Amino acid sequence: MTTPTLRVSNLEASYGQIDVLRGLNFEVGEGEVVVVLGANGSGKTTTLRSICNMPIVDSSGTIEVDGVDVSNADTGSIVARGLAHVPQGRGTFPELSTYDNLMIGAYVRKDRKAIEEDITRWFDMFPVLKERRNQTAGSLSGGEQQMLAVSRALMSRPKLLLLDEPSLGLAPIIIENLFDTFSRLNSEEGVTMLIVEQNANLALNIADRGYVLEAGEIALAGDAEKLKNDPAVQEAYLGA
Amino acid sequence: MELFVQRCFDGMFNGAIYASLAVALVMIFRATGLLNFAQGEMAMMCGYIALVFLSSSDSGIAGTQSIGSLLPGHPWPTWLAITGAVLVGFALGALVEELLMRPLGDGSPLAQVNVTIGLLVLLNGLVLQIWGPFGRSFPSPFPSGMNDHFLIAGARLRYTTLGVWAVLLVVIVALGVLLRYTKTGLAFRAITSNRDSAELVGVRVRRSLMLGWGIAAGIGALAASLVGGAIVLEPLTMMKMLIYALAAATIGGLDSPRGAIFGGLIVGLSQSLVPGYLGVPSELSLLPPLVAMVLVLLFRPHGLFGTVPVERV
Repeated sequence: MTTPTLRVSNLEASYGQIDVLRGLNFEVGEGEVVVVLGANGSGKTTTLRSICNMPIVDSSGTIEVDGVDVSNADTGSIVARGLAHVPQGRGTFPELSTYDNLMIGAYVRKDRKAIEEDITRWFDMFPVLKERRNQTAGSLSGGEQQMLAVSRALMSRPKLLLLDEPSLGLAPIIIENLFDTFSRLNSEEGVTMLIVEQNANLALNIADRGYVLEAGEIALAGDAEKLKNDPAVQEAYLGA
Repeated sequence: MELFVQRCFDGMFNGAIYASLAVALVMIFRATGLLNFAQGEMAMMCGYIALVFLSSSDSGIAGTQSIGSLLPGHPWPTWLAITGAVLVGFALGALVEELLMRPLGDGSPLAQVNVTIGLLVLLNGLVLQIWGPFGRSFPSPFPSGMNDHFLIAGARLRYTTLGVWAVLLVVIVALGVLLRYTKTGLAFRAITSNRDSAELVGVRVRRSLMLGWGIAAGIGALAASLVGGAIVLEPLTMMKMLIYALAAATIGGLDSPRGAIFGGLIVGLSQSLVPGYLGVPSELSLLPPLVAMVLVLLFRPHGLFGTVPVERV
Protein backbone atom coordinates (compact mmCIF):
# COMPACT_ATOMS: atom_id res chain seq x y z
CA MET A 1 0.00 0.00 0.00
CA THR A 2 1.35 3.41 -0.93
CA THR A 3 1.82 6.17 1.61
CA PRO A 4 -0.96 8.76 1.39
CA THR A 5 0.04 12.39 0.70
CA LEU A 6 -1.79 13.41 3.86
CA ARG A 7 -2.82 11.26 6.78
CA VAL A 8 -4.67 12.73 9.73
CA SER A 9 -5.10 10.60 12.85
CA ASN A 10 -7.05 11.35 16.01
CA LEU A 11 -7.12 15.07 15.28
CA GLU A 12 -8.69 17.01 18.11
CA ALA A 13 -8.82 20.77 18.31
CA SER A 14 -10.27 23.44 20.52
CA TYR A 15 -10.48 27.20 20.81
CA GLY A 16 -10.08 27.82 24.52
CA GLN A 17 -12.84 25.83 26.22
CA ILE A 18 -14.71 25.03 23.06
CA ASP A 19 -14.01 21.65 21.45
CA VAL A 20 -14.24 21.89 17.71
CA LEU A 21 -12.79 18.63 16.45
CA ARG A 22 -13.30 15.33 18.26
CA GLY A 23 -10.92 12.78 16.84
CA LEU A 24 -10.81 12.98 13.06
CA ASN A 25 -9.21 10.24 10.98
CA PHE A 26 -8.87 10.62 7.25
CA GLU A 27 -6.40 10.55 4.41
CA VAL A 28 -5.81 12.08 1.02
CA GLY A 29 -4.01 9.88 -1.48
CA GLU A 30 -1.59 11.11 -4.10
CA GLY A 31 -3.39 12.75 -7.02
CA GLU A 32 -6.76 12.65 -5.32
CA VAL A 33 -9.29 15.43 -4.95
CA VAL A 34 -11.01 15.07 -1.60
CA VAL A 35 -13.79 17.31 -0.44
CA VAL A 36 -14.89 17.99 3.13
CA LEU A 37 -18.52 18.97 3.45
CA GLY A 38 -20.26 20.22 6.52
CA ALA A 39 -22.56 22.87 7.90
CA ASN A 40 -21.34 26.11 9.45
CA GLY A 41 -19.45 25.42 12.64
CA SER A 42 -18.84 21.76 11.93
CA GLY A 43 -15.07 22.25 12.07
CA LYS A 44 -14.06 22.37 8.40
CA THR A 45 -11.86 25.45 8.60
CA THR A 46 -10.37 24.30 11.90
CA THR A 47 -9.36 21.04 10.24
CA LEU A 48 -7.36 22.88 7.60
CA ARG A 49 -5.85 25.28 10.14
CA SER A 50 -4.78 22.39 12.35
CA ILE A 51 -3.14 20.59 9.45
CA CYS A 52 -0.92 23.65 8.90
CA ASN A 53 -0.35 24.09 12.61
CA MET A 54 -1.49 27.67 12.48
CA PRO A 55 -1.60 29.72 15.66
CA ILE A 56 -4.94 30.28 17.42
CA VAL A 57 -5.88 26.60 17.26
CA ASP A 58 -4.97 24.18 20.06
CA SER A 59 -4.77 20.82 18.41
CA SER A 60 -3.56 17.34 19.15
CA GLY A 61 -3.28 14.23 17.04
CA THR A 62 -0.96 13.22 14.25
CA ILE A 63 -0.55 14.86 10.87
CA GLU A 64 1.62 13.01 8.36
CA VAL A 65 2.69 14.41 5.01
CA ASP A 66 4.12 11.70 2.74
CA GLY A 67 4.56 9.55 5.80
CA VAL A 68 6.53 12.18 7.72
CA ASP A 69 5.08 13.32 11.03
CA VAL A 70 4.69 17.10 10.94
CA SER A 71 2.38 17.45 13.95
CA ASN A 72 4.90 19.58 15.82
CA ALA A 73 6.53 21.34 12.88
CA ASP A 74 5.96 25.06 12.43
CA THR A 75 3.83 26.35 9.59
CA GLY A 76 6.88 27.39 7.56
CA SER A 77 8.43 23.95 7.48
CA ILE A 78 5.06 22.35 6.69
CA VAL A 79 4.80 24.65 3.68
CA ALA A 80 8.34 23.70 2.73
CA ARG A 81 7.18 20.04 2.69
CA GLY A 82 4.79 20.84 -0.12
CA LEU A 83 1.54 21.97 1.45
CA ALA A 84 -0.15 25.15 0.33
CA HIS A 85 -3.17 26.61 2.05
CA VAL A 86 -5.64 29.03 0.50
CA PRO A 87 -7.39 30.40 3.56
CA GLN A 88 -11.03 31.35 3.70
CA GLY A 89 -11.84 34.85 2.50
CA ARG A 90 -9.09 35.35 -0.08
CA GLY A 91 -5.99 35.49 2.09
CA THR A 92 -4.10 37.74 -0.29
CA PHE A 93 -1.78 40.56 0.75
CA PRO A 94 -3.92 43.63 0.04
CA GLU A 95 -1.10 46.19 0.13
CA LEU A 96 1.19 44.20 -2.16
CA SER A 97 1.00 44.20 -5.94
CA THR A 98 -0.36 41.19 -7.78
CA TYR A 99 3.17 40.36 -8.88
CA ASP A 100 4.56 40.59 -5.34
CA ASN A 101 1.72 38.41 -4.08
CA LEU A 102 2.88 35.72 -6.49
CA MET A 103 6.54 36.25 -5.59
CA ILE A 104 5.88 35.82 -1.88
CA GLY A 105 3.99 32.63 -2.71
CA ALA A 106 7.33 31.24 -3.87
CA TYR A 107 9.02 32.29 -0.63
CA VAL A 108 10.21 28.78 0.26
CA ARG A 109 11.71 28.24 -3.20
CA LYS A 110 15.17 29.22 -4.35
CA ASP A 111 15.05 28.52 -8.09
CA ARG A 112 14.63 32.10 -9.28
CA LYS A 113 14.36 31.35 -12.96
CA ALA A 114 11.68 28.70 -12.54
CA ILE A 115 9.77 31.09 -10.29
CA GLU A 116 9.52 33.62 -13.11
CA GLU A 117 8.38 30.84 -15.44
CA ASP A 118 5.66 29.85 -13.01
CA ILE A 119 4.45 33.43 -12.74
CA THR A 120 4.13 33.51 -16.53
CA ARG A 121 2.27 30.22 -16.38
CA TRP A 122 -0.36 31.42 -13.90
CA PHE A 123 -0.67 34.71 -15.75
CA ASP A 124 -1.53 32.64 -18.82
CA MET A 125 -4.10 30.69 -16.89
CA PHE A 126 -5.62 33.82 -15.35
CA PRO A 127 -5.02 36.57 -17.95
CA VAL A 128 -6.86 39.12 -15.84
CA LEU A 129 -4.12 38.83 -13.23
CA LYS A 130 -1.56 39.72 -15.85
CA GLU A 131 -3.49 42.90 -16.62
CA ARG A 132 -3.51 43.70 -12.90
CA ARG A 133 0.15 42.83 -12.46
CA ASN A 134 1.16 46.09 -10.79
CA GLN A 135 -2.12 46.82 -9.04
CA THR A 136 -2.34 46.16 -5.33
CA ALA A 137 -4.25 42.99 -4.49
CA GLY A 138 -6.65 45.02 -2.35
CA SER A 139 -7.89 46.80 -5.46
CA LEU A 140 -8.86 43.57 -7.24
CA SER A 141 -12.42 42.28 -7.30
CA GLY A 142 -13.41 39.32 -5.12
CA GLY A 143 -13.13 36.83 -7.96
CA GLU A 144 -9.78 38.20 -9.07
CA GLN A 145 -8.49 38.02 -5.50
CA GLN A 146 -9.59 34.40 -5.24
CA MET A 147 -7.75 33.58 -8.46
CA LEU A 148 -4.73 35.40 -7.06
CA ALA A 149 -4.95 33.49 -3.78
CA VAL A 150 -5.03 30.18 -5.65
CA SER A 151 -2.16 31.14 -7.97
CA ARG A 152 -0.18 32.36 -5.02
CA ALA A 153 -0.61 29.01 -3.31
CA LEU A 154 0.45 27.23 -6.51
CA MET A 155 3.63 29.34 -6.65
CA SER A 156 5.12 27.12 -3.96
CA ARG A 157 4.65 24.15 -6.33
CA PRO A 158 2.67 22.28 -3.73
CA LYS A 159 2.05 18.56 -3.73
CA LEU A 160 -1.09 19.18 -1.76
CA LEU A 161 -3.35 22.18 -2.06
CA LEU A 162 -5.71 22.96 0.82
CA LEU A 163 -8.62 25.12 -0.28
CA ASP A 164 -10.90 26.70 2.28
CA GLU A 165 -14.28 27.54 0.76
CA PRO A 166 -12.95 28.85 -2.53
CA SER A 167 -16.47 29.68 -3.72
CA LEU A 168 -17.26 32.00 -0.83
CA GLY A 169 -18.85 35.23 -2.00
CA LEU A 170 -18.26 34.67 -5.70
CA ALA A 171 -20.70 34.85 -8.61
CA PRO A 172 -21.87 31.43 -9.91
CA ILE A 173 -20.10 31.81 -13.27
CA ILE A 174 -16.80 32.61 -11.55
CA ILE A 175 -17.22 29.68 -9.19
CA GLU A 176 -17.70 27.36 -12.14
CA ASN A 177 -14.57 28.66 -13.85
CA LEU A 178 -12.62 28.27 -10.66
CA PHE A 179 -13.71 24.68 -10.16
CA ASP A 180 -12.91 23.92 -13.80
CA THR A 181 -9.47 25.23 -13.09
CA PHE A 182 -9.11 23.03 -10.00
CA SER A 183 -10.15 20.05 -12.06
CA ARG A 184 -7.57 20.89 -14.72
CA LEU A 185 -4.84 21.49 -12.15
CA ASN A 186 -5.54 18.05 -10.79
CA SER A 187 -5.66 16.20 -14.08
CA GLU A 188 -2.93 18.13 -15.92
CA GLU A 189 -0.53 19.09 -13.15
CA GLY A 190 -1.24 16.25 -10.77
CA VAL A 191 -1.90 18.54 -7.81
CA THR A 192 -3.54 16.71 -4.92
CA MET A 193 -6.34 18.70 -3.28
CA LEU A 194 -8.29 18.86 -0.09
CA ILE A 195 -11.23 21.17 -0.57
CA VAL A 196 -13.51 22.43 2.16
CA GLU A 197 -16.72 23.62 0.60
CA GLN A 198 -20.34 24.44 1.23
CA ASN A 199 -21.20 24.30 -2.43
CA ALA A 200 -21.51 20.52 -2.29
CA ASN A 201 -22.76 20.00 -5.82
CA LEU A 202 -19.80 21.60 -7.54
CA ALA A 203 -17.29 20.18 -5.12
CA LEU A 204 -18.57 16.61 -5.49
CA ASN A 205 -18.48 16.95 -9.26
CA ILE A 206 -14.71 17.37 -9.32
CA ALA A 207 -13.90 15.27 -6.26
CA ASP A 208 -12.88 11.63 -6.09
CA ARG A 209 -13.98 11.17 -2.51
CA GLY A 210 -15.61 13.14 0.25
CA TYR A 211 -16.12 13.35 3.98
CA VAL A 212 -19.06 14.91 5.77
CA LEU A 213 -18.27 16.63 9.04
CA GLU A 214 -20.86 17.02 11.73
CA ALA A 215 -20.05 18.66 15.05
CA GLY A 216 -16.35 17.86 14.78
CA GLU A 217 -16.75 14.23 13.77
CA ILE A 218 -16.84 12.45 10.46
CA ALA A 219 -20.45 11.49 9.92
CA LEU A 220 -20.12 10.07 6.43
CA ALA A 221 -17.33 9.11 4.10
CA GLY A 222 -17.19 7.68 0.63
CA ASP A 223 -16.78 8.12 -3.10
CA ALA A 224 -18.08 11.37 -4.53
CA GLU A 225 -20.67 9.54 -6.62
CA LYS A 226 -21.93 7.64 -3.61
CA LEU A 227 -22.17 10.79 -1.50
CA LYS A 228 -24.02 12.62 -4.23
CA ASN A 229 -26.69 9.93 -4.18
CA ASP A 230 -26.83 9.60 -0.43
CA PRO A 231 -30.26 10.75 0.79
CA ALA A 232 -28.87 12.45 3.90
CA VAL A 233 -26.31 14.43 1.86
CA GLN A 234 -28.91 15.30 -0.72
CA GLU A 235 -31.25 16.61 1.90
CA ALA A 236 -28.66 18.58 3.88
CA TYR A 237 -26.32 19.90 1.21
CA LEU A 238 -27.75 19.45 -2.24
CA GLY A 239 -31.22 20.79 -1.56
CA ALA A 240 -32.88 17.87 -3.31
CA MET B 1 20.10 86.86 4.11
CA GLU B 2 23.06 85.56 6.06
CA LEU B 3 20.80 84.90 9.02
CA PHE B 4 18.27 83.12 6.84
CA VAL B 5 20.87 80.81 5.35
CA GLN B 6 22.36 80.14 8.76
CA ARG B 7 18.95 79.24 10.13
CA CYS B 8 18.43 76.89 7.18
CA PHE B 9 21.73 75.16 7.92
CA ASP B 10 20.86 74.84 11.59
CA GLY B 11 17.48 73.45 10.63
CA MET B 12 19.15 70.98 8.31
CA PHE B 13 21.33 69.71 11.10
CA ASN B 14 18.46 69.21 13.52
CA GLY B 15 16.43 67.81 10.68
CA ALA B 16 19.06 65.12 10.12
CA ILE B 17 18.75 64.02 13.74
CA TYR B 18 14.96 63.84 13.59
CA ALA B 19 15.08 62.15 10.22
CA SER B 20 17.42 59.42 11.40
CA LEU B 21 15.25 58.59 14.38
CA ALA B 22 12.16 58.83 12.18
CA VAL B 23 13.74 56.33 9.78
CA ALA B 24 14.13 53.91 12.69
CA LEU B 25 10.45 54.40 13.58
CA VAL B 26 9.46 53.81 9.96
CA MET B 27 11.57 50.65 9.85
CA ILE B 28 9.76 49.18 12.88
CA PHE B 29 6.46 50.22 11.38
CA ARG B 30 7.28 48.57 8.08
CA ALA B 31 8.40 45.36 9.73
CA THR B 32 5.76 45.06 12.45
CA GLY B 33 3.02 47.62 11.89
CA LEU B 34 3.75 49.08 15.33
CA LEU B 35 5.04 52.36 16.69
CA ASN B 36 7.96 51.92 19.03
CA PHE B 37 7.86 54.69 21.60
CA ALA B 38 11.06 53.40 23.18
CA GLN B 39 13.00 54.00 19.94
CA GLY B 40 14.58 57.19 21.28
CA GLU B 41 15.63 55.68 24.59
CA MET B 42 17.02 52.57 22.93
CA ALA B 43 19.07 54.87 20.73
CA MET B 44 20.24 56.90 23.72
CA MET B 45 21.29 53.77 25.56
CA CYS B 46 23.40 52.82 22.55
CA GLY B 47 24.84 56.33 22.45
CA TYR B 48 26.09 55.84 25.99
CA ILE B 49 27.46 52.44 25.06
CA ALA B 50 29.41 54.03 22.20
CA LEU B 51 30.70 56.50 24.78
CA VAL B 52 31.86 53.65 26.99
CA PHE B 53 33.61 52.00 24.03
CA LEU B 54 35.59 55.09 23.14
CA SER B 55 36.33 56.66 26.52
CA SER B 56 39.50 55.87 28.36
CA SER B 57 39.12 53.75 31.49
CA ASP B 58 39.81 56.62 33.87
CA SER B 59 37.23 58.95 32.33
CA GLY B 60 34.84 58.41 35.20
CA ILE B 61 32.10 57.08 32.91
CA ALA B 62 30.44 54.09 34.50
CA GLY B 63 31.34 50.81 32.85
CA THR B 64 34.46 51.95 31.02
CA GLN B 65 36.74 50.19 33.48
CA SER B 66 35.06 46.78 33.45
CA ILE B 67 34.15 46.83 29.77
CA GLY B 68 37.50 48.32 28.80
CA SER B 69 39.33 45.40 30.35
CA LEU B 70 37.33 43.01 28.15
CA LEU B 71 37.83 44.86 24.88
CA PRO B 72 41.09 44.59 22.98
CA GLY B 73 42.52 47.96 22.08
CA HIS B 74 40.13 49.89 24.33
CA PRO B 75 39.50 52.84 24.17
CA TRP B 76 38.35 52.38 20.60
CA PRO B 77 38.56 54.95 17.82
CA THR B 78 35.29 56.78 17.19
CA TRP B 79 34.17 54.88 14.12
CA LEU B 80 34.86 51.50 15.66
CA ALA B 81 32.96 52.54 18.80
CA ILE B 82 30.00 53.62 16.67
CA THR B 83 30.06 50.32 14.78
CA GLY B 84 30.12 48.52 18.12
CA ALA B 85 27.17 50.55 19.37
CA VAL B 86 25.19 49.81 16.21
CA LEU B 87 25.78 46.08 16.73
CA VAL B 88 24.75 46.35 20.38
CA GLY B 89 21.68 48.27 19.19
CA PHE B 90 20.83 45.49 16.74
CA ALA B 91 21.08 42.90 19.51
CA LEU B 92 19.03 45.08 21.86
CA GLY B 93 16.28 45.44 19.27
CA ALA B 94 16.19 41.73 18.55
CA LEU B 95 16.07 40.99 22.28
CA VAL B 96 13.17 43.38 22.83
CA GLU B 97 11.21 41.53 20.16
CA GLU B 98 12.18 38.12 21.51
CA LEU B 99 11.67 38.81 25.22
CA LEU B 100 8.98 41.49 25.40
CA MET B 101 6.94 41.58 22.20
CA ARG B 102 6.61 37.91 21.31
CA PRO B 103 5.13 36.72 24.61
CA LEU B 104 2.33 39.26 24.15
CA GLY B 105 1.10 37.35 21.13
CA ASP B 106 0.20 38.51 17.68
CA GLY B 107 -3.26 39.81 18.19
CA SER B 108 -2.55 42.62 20.62
CA PRO B 109 -0.89 45.62 18.98
CA LEU B 110 -2.21 47.91 21.70
CA ALA B 111 -0.53 45.87 24.43
CA GLN B 112 2.70 45.86 22.46
CA VAL B 113 2.67 49.63 21.99
CA ASN B 114 1.99 50.03 25.70
CA VAL B 115 4.99 47.86 26.46
CA THR B 116 7.18 50.13 24.33
CA ILE B 117 6.03 53.06 26.48
CA GLY B 118 6.97 51.08 29.57
CA LEU B 119 10.32 50.33 27.98
CA LEU B 120 10.84 54.05 27.38
CA VAL B 121 10.46 54.74 31.08
CA LEU B 122 12.57 51.73 32.08
CA LEU B 123 15.49 52.51 29.79
CA ASN B 124 15.43 56.16 30.77
CA GLY B 125 15.63 55.16 34.42
CA LEU B 126 18.42 52.69 33.70
CA VAL B 127 20.52 55.27 31.90
CA LEU B 128 19.97 57.73 34.71
CA GLN B 129 20.93 55.08 37.24
CA ILE B 130 24.04 53.91 35.45
CA TRP B 131 25.45 57.10 33.94
CA GLY B 132 23.85 59.79 36.08
CA PRO B 133 22.06 62.97 35.08
CA PHE B 134 25.14 64.78 33.74
CA GLY B 135 25.43 65.79 30.13
CA ARG B 136 28.26 64.05 28.30
CA SER B 137 30.01 65.39 25.28
CA PHE B 138 30.91 62.99 22.62
CA PRO B 139 33.76 63.14 20.14
CA SER B 140 32.34 63.77 16.70
CA PRO B 141 33.17 61.26 13.99
CA PHE B 142 33.46 64.22 11.60
CA PRO B 143 35.88 67.13 11.75
CA SER B 144 34.13 69.59 14.02
CA GLY B 145 36.68 72.19 15.03
CA MET B 146 36.08 75.93 14.91
CA ASN B 147 37.09 76.14 11.27
CA ASP B 148 35.59 72.92 9.95
CA HIS B 149 32.84 74.45 7.89
CA PHE B 150 32.05 75.86 4.48
CA LEU B 151 31.21 79.53 4.33
CA ILE B 152 28.17 79.96 2.10
CA ALA B 153 26.63 83.43 1.80
CA GLY B 154 28.28 84.28 5.05
CA ALA B 155 26.66 81.36 6.88
CA ARG B 156 28.47 78.35 8.26
CA LEU B 157 27.64 74.93 6.91
CA ARG B 158 29.43 72.59 9.29
CA TYR B 159 31.13 69.44 8.05
CA THR B 160 29.24 67.55 10.72
CA THR B 161 25.91 68.53 9.15
CA LEU B 162 27.07 67.29 5.78
CA GLY B 163 28.57 64.15 7.31
CA VAL B 164 25.38 63.22 9.14
CA TRP B 165 23.34 63.76 6.00
CA ALA B 166 25.73 61.69 3.93
CA VAL B 167 25.47 58.76 6.35
CA LEU B 168 21.72 59.17 6.48
CA LEU B 169 21.39 59.06 2.72
CA VAL B 170 23.46 55.89 2.55
CA VAL B 171 21.22 54.31 5.19
CA ILE B 172 18.10 55.35 3.31
CA VAL B 173 19.27 53.97 0.00
CA ALA B 174 20.34 50.71 1.63
CA LEU B 175 17.01 50.44 3.41
CA GLY B 176 15.10 51.26 0.23
CA VAL B 177 16.92 48.51 -1.63
CA LEU B 178 16.32 46.05 1.22
CA LEU B 179 12.60 46.78 1.45
CA ARG B 180 11.86 47.03 -2.23
CA TYR B 181 14.14 44.62 -4.02
CA THR B 182 14.99 41.77 -1.68
CA LYS B 183 13.14 38.71 -0.51
CA THR B 184 13.62 39.84 3.09
CA GLY B 185 11.96 43.14 2.27
CA LEU B 186 9.09 41.37 0.54
CA ALA B 187 8.64 39.27 3.68
CA PHE B 188 8.50 42.41 5.85
CA ARG B 189 5.83 43.89 3.63
CA ALA B 190 3.88 40.64 3.55
CA ILE B 191 3.87 40.34 7.34
CA THR B 192 2.44 43.82 7.88
CA SER B 193 -0.08 43.28 5.11
CA ASN B 194 -1.46 39.92 6.24
CA ARG B 195 0.31 38.04 8.97
CA ASP B 196 -1.69 34.81 8.75
CA SER B 197 -1.09 34.49 5.05
CA ALA B 198 2.58 35.34 5.49
CA GLU B 199 2.81 32.42 7.89
CA LEU B 200 1.03 30.26 5.32
CA VAL B 201 3.47 30.96 2.51
CA GLY B 202 6.30 29.88 4.76
CA VAL B 203 7.67 33.27 5.84
CA ARG B 204 9.56 32.81 9.12
CA VAL B 205 7.58 35.56 10.79
CA ARG B 206 9.45 35.53 14.08
CA ARG B 207 12.83 35.71 12.44
CA SER B 208 11.67 38.58 10.25
CA LEU B 209 10.31 40.50 13.21
CA MET B 210 13.56 40.10 15.11
CA LEU B 211 15.48 41.30 12.09
CA GLY B 212 13.17 44.30 11.70
CA TRP B 213 13.56 45.29 15.34
CA GLY B 214 17.30 44.79 15.14
CA ILE B 215 17.74 46.93 12.04
CA ALA B 216 15.58 49.72 13.46
CA ALA B 217 17.45 49.78 16.76
CA GLY B 218 20.75 49.69 14.87
CA ILE B 219 19.72 52.76 12.87
CA GLY B 220 18.70 54.45 16.12
CA ALA B 221 22.09 53.67 17.64
CA LEU B 222 23.79 55.16 14.59
CA ALA B 223 21.64 58.28 14.93
CA ALA B 224 22.49 58.72 18.60
CA SER B 225 26.20 58.19 17.99
CA LEU B 226 26.32 60.67 15.12
CA VAL B 227 24.44 63.44 16.86
CA GLY B 228 26.37 62.78 20.04
CA GLY B 229 29.19 64.66 18.41
CA ALA B 230 27.20 67.83 18.08
CA ILE B 231 24.86 67.91 21.05
CA VAL B 232 25.26 67.03 24.66
CA LEU B 233 24.06 63.55 25.50
CA GLU B 234 22.00 63.48 28.68
CA PRO B 235 19.18 61.20 29.84
CA LEU B 236 16.44 63.60 28.74
CA THR B 237 17.84 64.30 25.27
CA MET B 238 15.82 61.68 23.49
CA MET B 239 12.40 62.39 24.99
CA LYS B 240 12.16 65.59 22.99
CA MET B 241 13.85 64.06 19.96
CA LEU B 242 11.23 61.33 19.88
CA ILE B 243 8.40 63.85 19.70
CA TYR B 244 10.07 65.61 16.77
CA ALA B 245 10.89 62.29 15.14
CA LEU B 246 7.27 61.13 15.48
CA ALA B 247 6.14 64.38 13.88
CA ALA B 248 8.70 63.85 11.11
CA ALA B 249 7.60 60.27 10.48
CA THR B 250 3.93 61.28 10.47
CA ILE B 251 4.53 64.14 8.05
CA GLY B 252 6.46 61.90 5.68
CA GLY B 253 4.07 58.97 5.97
CA LEU B 254 4.68 56.28 8.55
CA ASP B 255 5.58 53.60 6.04
CA SER B 256 7.99 55.61 3.92
CA PRO B 257 11.73 55.88 4.66
CA ARG B 258 11.98 58.61 2.04
CA GLY B 259 9.10 60.41 3.73
CA ALA B 260 10.94 60.27 7.05
CA ILE B 261 13.81 62.20 5.48
CA PHE B 262 11.56 64.94 4.14
CA GLY B 263 9.57 64.97 7.35
CA GLY B 264 12.77 65.39 9.36
CA LEU B 265 13.84 68.25 7.13
CA ILE B 266 10.46 69.97 7.39
CA VAL B 267 10.42 69.62 11.16
CA GLY B 268 14.03 70.84 11.49
CA LEU B 269 13.49 73.83 9.22
CA SER B 270 10.15 74.83 10.69
CA GLN B 271 11.75 74.68 14.10
CA SER B 272 14.67 76.91 13.17
CA LEU B 273 12.92 79.33 10.81
CA VAL B 274 9.44 79.93 12.19
CA PRO B 275 10.29 81.10 15.73
CA GLY B 276 12.89 83.54 14.37
CA TYR B 277 10.61 85.17 11.85
CA LEU B 278 7.20 84.92 13.44
CA GLY B 279 8.34 85.77 16.92
CA VAL B 280 7.26 82.49 18.48
CA PRO B 281 9.02 82.42 21.85
CA SER B 282 11.65 79.73 22.14
CA GLU B 283 9.76 77.95 24.91
CA LEU B 284 7.19 77.15 22.22
CA SER B 285 9.71 75.79 19.74
CA LEU B 286 7.80 72.52 19.79
CA LEU B 287 4.85 74.29 18.23
CA PRO B 288 5.85 74.91 14.59
CA PRO B 289 6.68 71.26 13.80
CA LEU B 290 3.40 70.12 15.30
CA VAL B 291 1.46 72.75 13.36
CA ALA B 292 3.24 71.57 10.23
CA MET B 293 2.19 68.01 11.08
CA VAL B 294 -1.46 68.97 11.53
CA LEU B 295 -1.44 70.91 8.27
CA VAL B 296 0.02 67.98 6.34
CA LEU B 297 -2.42 65.52 7.88
CA LEU B 298 -5.38 67.76 7.04
CA PHE B 299 -4.59 67.49 3.36
CA ARG B 300 -2.79 64.16 3.18
CA PRO B 301 -3.98 61.88 5.99
CA HIS B 302 -1.36 59.27 5.16
CA GLY B 303 1.52 61.73 5.07
CA LEU B 304 3.43 63.11 2.11
CA PHE B 305 4.82 59.79 0.91
CA GLY B 306 2.69 57.31 2.83
CA THR B 307 0.86 54.52 1.04
CA VAL B 308 -2.83 55.18 0.75
CA PRO B 309 -4.59 51.87 1.34
CA VAL B 310 -6.96 50.77 -1.38
CA GLU B 311 -9.27 47.88 -0.67
CA ARG B 312 -12.33 46.95 -2.60
CA VAL B 313 -15.15 45.42 -0.68
